[in-house]
Amino acid sequence: MIARPAARTARALSSLLAVAGCLTAPLLLPSAAWAAGVDDGAEPGDGLSVLETLLWFVGAPLALFAVIAVLVSAPSMARGPRYRPALGWWAAPVWFNGPDDADTAVRRAVPTSGGGGASARW
Amino acid sequence: MPAGDAFSPRQQEDVVRAIRLAQQQSQLPVSVYVGTLDGDSRATALQLHAALGAAAAESVLVAVDPGARRVEVVTGPDVRRRVDDRAAALAAMTMTSAFQAGDLAGGIASGVLALAEHAHVPPSLHTGSP
Repeated sequence: MIARPAARTARALSSLLAVAGCLTAPLLLPSAAWAAGVDDGAEPGDGLSVLETLLWFVGAPLALFAVIAVLVSAPSMARGPRYRPALGWWAAPVWFNGPDDADTAVRRAVPTSGGGGASARW
Repeated sequence: MPAGDAFSPRQQEDVVRAIRLAQQQSQLPVSVYVGTLDGDSRATALQLHAALGAAAAESVLVAVDPGARRVEVVTGPDVRRRVDDRAAALAAMTMTSAFQAGDLAGGIASGVLALAEHAHVPPSLHTGSP
């Protein structure tokens, strides 16, 4: 189905309005409540200063974001780089159950025939 | 051998345990090399196998090059009767299927155990009685 340009624009506009409405509604609601004036018995304290506002509404979310980011990435950072087949190899050679002096042994070694085995790649 | 940062201590332990099991249960000496195999990987693996010295003839070398994505299984002339080329190929396939998923240590451990399984000679019973 091919939507006509005008219809598509109208649909995009309406969805934009819906999103904007969802985002601004919470901001408008409290102001509407405040517009009615202070309730009986309410004793509002001092307003927040600019610095305090920034601290609570910008600093605190950022700090929370940082804490969660650290919690998510800390385990893999502690574990170190992990082998992934496409990303090559970085580590020094490891030889389990190998000769004591590997370099000398490999230099002096003379391969003999008669052995067997298999090769594979992945 | 000095262990690089290729494996975590726990992964190293897994590989070492598999090698020890192969030795204990099947009397199969297995050596595992993980690193680059320069040039012709088969020739390099044969050279590494020969470097095992006097034990080479009855040893199996598993050489893994994670960068080039190659695995070579080299069996000495004496051990080839117990671990034939078909069994070596099966062990290599066992390893590569784990390597594809990024499990280097686990693949090596299961490959070594597969080799040991094939080399296992069950004790023959009732041979002494007529």
